Amino acid sequence: MKYLTDYSNIFTRYDLNIEVARQAARKVSKDELLQKVADCVVRGDDEESAKLTKEALQKKSPMDVINEGLIPGMNEVSRLWDEGVYFLPQVILASDAMNAGIALCEEAMGKAMDKKGKVVTHTAEGDIHDIGQVIVNALLNANGFEVINLGADVPVDKVVEACRVNNPVMVTGTALMTTTMTAFPKIASQLKRLGLNIPFVCGGGAVSEEYVTSFELGIWGKEANQAPGMAEDALSGDNWQAMRGKWNG
Amino acid sequence: MLGKERVIKIFNHEKPDRMSCFCVNGTPTYEQMEKVGAFWPEGHERAEDMAKLAMAAYTVLGFDAVRAPFCQTFEAEALGCKVKLGGKENIPGIDHPTLYKLDDMPVLPDDFLKRGRIPQLIEAIRIMKREVGDKVAVIGGIIGPFTIAGAMLDAVPILKASFKTPDKLRPFLDVAEKAGTMLGQALVDAGADMIVVEDMQASPDLIAPHTYRDLELEYQKKQVEALSVPVILHICGNVDKIIGFMHETGCAGISLEPKSDTKLARKIVGTNVVLIGGVDAATTLFMKGPDDVKDASREQIEMGLDVLAPGCAIAPGTPTANLLAMVEVAKEYTYL
Repeated sequence: MKYLTDYSNIFTRYDLNIEVARQAARKVSKDELLQKVADCVVRGDDEESAKLTKEALQKKSPMDVINEGLIPGMNEVSRLWDEGVYFLPQVILASDAMNAGIALCEEAMGKAMDKKGKVVTHTAEGDIHDIGQVIVNALLNANGFEVINLGADVPVDKVVEACRVNNPVMVTGTALMTTTMTAFPKIASQLKRLGLNIPFVCGGGAVSEEYVTSFELGIWGKEANQAPGMAEDALSGDNWQAMRGKWNG
Repeated sequence: MLGKERVIKIFNHEKPDRMSCFCVNGTPTYEQMEKVGAFWPEGHERAEDMAKLAMAAYTVLGFDAVRAPFCQTFEAEALGCKVKLGGKENIPGIDHPTLYKLDDMPVLPDDFLKRGRIPQLIEAIRIMKREVGDKVAVIGGIIGPFTIAGAMLDAVPILKASFKTPDKLRPFLDVAEKAGTMLGQALVDAGADMIVVEDMQASPDLIAPHTYRDLELEYQKKQVEALSVPVILHICGNVDKIIGFMHETGCAGISLEPKSDTKLARKIVGTNVVLIGGVDAATTLFMKGPDDVKDASREQIEMGLDVLAPGCAIAPGTPTANLLAMVEVAKEYTYL
């Protein structure tokens, strides 16, 4: 006689089944311990991630822990986000968990790991509505970019200076209002003058494609979700013209 | 038929003479400011200017309702948050430093309704009622619990807490709900026919649908029940995943951005909720011309809307011609 041991498919309120519950990562690592590290990232548990990273560092090299545990875990989170399973808070928490582990690995290495590339992000001068930038930052972090977060209401000169000092692969500007987006062409022209041909992705609220593509370096960002894909293109060497051709028009 | 009668009929689920058109979010534009001679930032802080600007939605645009205020900072400011007004051209926002940390106990001040710009807002509603209240509906705007809590704590901390320590958010949601409800009832007492709750941060763009269901819903429900007039709930972004829960709040109307699936919303909420929505405020109303606005309006009406409206606050640079185009389309849809 067969006994039913799993009740999960019985009496399921499908109307309440709005999200897939927090899940473990797909198998991303051959090593059991590193798989557990990856699972911590997927669960967004920074304390557990730090604890298991320390354990893993007893047996593995810091680069192995990063490349076979922490980053594959974060890639899983990106997949779950893309598929609409994960929401923004989970992406932010997973980034924290990954970064907690990476910090310990860097400590063990005695140097900072090489990130994919830097992206400078800001919300336009005069604008303190930075929720769009919060989303952009979270997604870029999650995709392994080093985010130089300048915050909200950032003067033109400060953005330009951050680009000069950090030499990012991309710079982003968000603005809720048409009146504050007028800072964007000023930033672009100063970057040009300094010979910094950095793709400058602008978006948010009432920022229009027509406006952003009216000045050099400008690429219009329709949704915050596009930021990681755009940063990947910039990292692979696409210039602003190529990026505009691909993402706009 | 007067705009006000039209709105009353719709909320009583009777047929008005034609499709109604108004905006449940902020309505001022630079062109309206010039026409009525009231501007920002005074329109955000002085009753007379606020009322004049709000009434432009009727006197200039011919909408069936007028609404104040035009930003999301009144409750937060009265609770102690720092507000940046934004000068002539911008909408006020919450500034740093953030008022509270997650472990703090938030306080609802005894004199809440006397703080910040709230007395001016209450007076503005009184003026609107007196001046145009017999011709159009007067709508008072308040902010939803999760969004006020977000102003008190800042975005990233509240988003993290929504997963890690949701119970720590309860005292904040409690104070935020009480603050919004208090303001809402004061606006009703001053003459508002309806209350709109804007709750931007409760959008699935920011929080998980289960957070809305398990955390925010009970506070919104409480708020809707406490207010003595019909309540319209507005949440930005695509709300397909929470539309059923929004319906559970007991609100009389739901305002949608066109990013949401209007047909799905109609299917889920049935016919006893007024569906308000239509034209994307940024990509269509602000950026395109009257013909595109008309096409978008017709398309959305045919998906089952009860009220044609901008999907969100009208961008202040929006041309008057585009807003008038919406009203023209509403006039095409007659029911008699």
